[in-house]
Amino acid sequence: MSSTEQGTSSAAPAEPTTAPESAAAPEVPESFYYVHGKDKVVHKVSAGALQHSALIHGMISNLGYTEEQAKANPFPFENIDGDILQMVVDWCNQHKGKPTPPEDTNLPKQKEKLFDLVLAVNYLEIKELLTYCCKQVAMMVKGKSPEEIREIWMIPTDAEDEAAEKEAKKRAGKEAAGETAAAAGDAK
Amino acid sequence: MPFPILRTPFVVLSEIINLLEPNEIVTASFCSKNLKRLLKRHYQQRKPLEWRLSIVAHGFWGRVDIGKLSDEYKKKPVLSAKHVFEIRHKSEHKLIQMNGYKREFSSEYPALYFQDRAKGLKMIVEYATDLFNLDVYALLIDGVRIWAIDWINNRQKTMLVHFELKKNICSLDGDEEMDCALRNARASDFYIFNEIVSVNFRFNGKLGPADHLLILSYGHWVTLDNLMNFDFIIIIIVGSRLSVSDLNSFLRHWRAGGSPRLTYLRLHLKTDTILENFDEDLEVVETDEVFKCRFKNGQEFDINGGYRIQRIDGEMATIHFEDGCFELVVSISDIVL
Repeated sequence: MSSTEQGTSSAAPAEPTTAPESAAAPEVPESFYYVHGKDKVVHKVSAGALQHSALIHGMISNLGYTEEQAKANPFPFENIDGDILQMVVDWCNQHKGKPTPPEDTNLPKQKEKLFDLVLAVNYLEIKELLTYCCKQVAMMVKGKSPEEIREIWMIPTDAEDEAAEKEAKKRAGKEAAGETAAAAGDAK
Repeated sequence: MPFPILRTPFVVLSEIINLLEPNEIVTASFCSKNLKRLLKRHYQQRKPLEWRLSIVAHGFWGRVDIGKLSDEYKKKPVLSAKHVFEIRHKSEHKLIQMNGYKREFSSEYPALYFQDRAKGLKMIVEYATDLFNLDVYALLIDGVRIWAIDWINNRQKTMLVHFELKKNICSLDGDEEMDCALRNARASDFYIFNEIVSVNFRFNGKLGPADHLLILSYGHWVTLDNLMNFDFIIIIIVGSRLSVSDLNSFLRHWRAGGSPRLTYLRLHLKTDTILENFDEDLEVVETDEVFKCRFKNGQEFDINGGYRIQRIDGEMATIHFEDGCFELVVSISDIVL
């Protein structure tokens, strides 16, 4: 249950339409919050869906926002790409109020986005989705040789690690020398 | 599409490592020294307590296996050591020359080739125990690797849980190795012997305490004295040459409170022994009841009738003899061994 708006000043998102669950129980209106990523596209997400994210859940439970306040103050996640945030929001909506199955077929399929997705999910503290993503990463190397794993996981060779270490030392040395020279200049 | 795993946050990296199988961890550890260090650090911080590391070495190769509790400790190979001689049977193009050995990736785990088999086995054991921060749980070797008993005893404080001496396919007489294994191997649960020994082989030491003793072939060397001194809960001996008189003597010993931990004894007698009568002083009583026995591994079998015998402290046992197989089951009615 989400809608996407282009920019925070766009028209208000459509209200969710939900059928009453039973005639006896009075319907409790679902509260919604708004999030946006690097692209500033605002996503309207129900509090139920956002419960998957320990980070956002922690934030909203302390705020006590009204609908209007929530709309006026979307949560900014500037470190998350818009398409990645969309994937996360979709997943949270698909799994709203449901127990998460051991194998998730609703996982985002774009492998090239997996790294960014993992970082976003880890930042937003969505434990189940993080586990699914990590399973995908672990599955990548099933039956693979060390050389194949090195390519898949982008592991530098020993020679590359040594060269990088030398380079880092050299840089650190130069920086230290620069600082010493600057300090000497200041003293004069 | 590549995934730069080393650029992920620590918590993510740990979660991914936790999801890998032991053989995948070992394979990944060969990617670089840096990744190996990282994996090793992971297991230093979180010792995989549910994993059991076994050495399986007989014939032409040696291997390290790991079993997990979630998989009922079903062992899976993680690393093997072979003699360079075996390279001749394969194409060399996938082999990678390392420092002192050659390495290839064979189906699901790395295989290392050495000039010296013993050095190879030691190296893979050191490698895996160091990587996972684990001691050796089970040692399954043939007589050629008998040195591994002392080597393991000296390199770890914890006792082996499972020891097995396998048949040496290159030798017809493993007396010396068998004697060495009986005297030096120490295990808390299983002792399994399958080595070929000569008709003159004898052992005058003690064995146990442990839970299981299985002599799966060439059990002719076990004397009445041996049997009375074995300290086990379950004893199974194949190829036993104990006589009817020995069996009566053993029952007398048991009745008087000997072998107090024993709950199940099975002797597959090699001789044409026919156990028709017991010595009168044993006071055995014939029974036609059926008893179900169940081993820890779930294996079940029935004892169909036989004789009941009572120990001095009141404990009951059932004796069954059929087709050269003598069984003594302590306590009766639906026993869980």
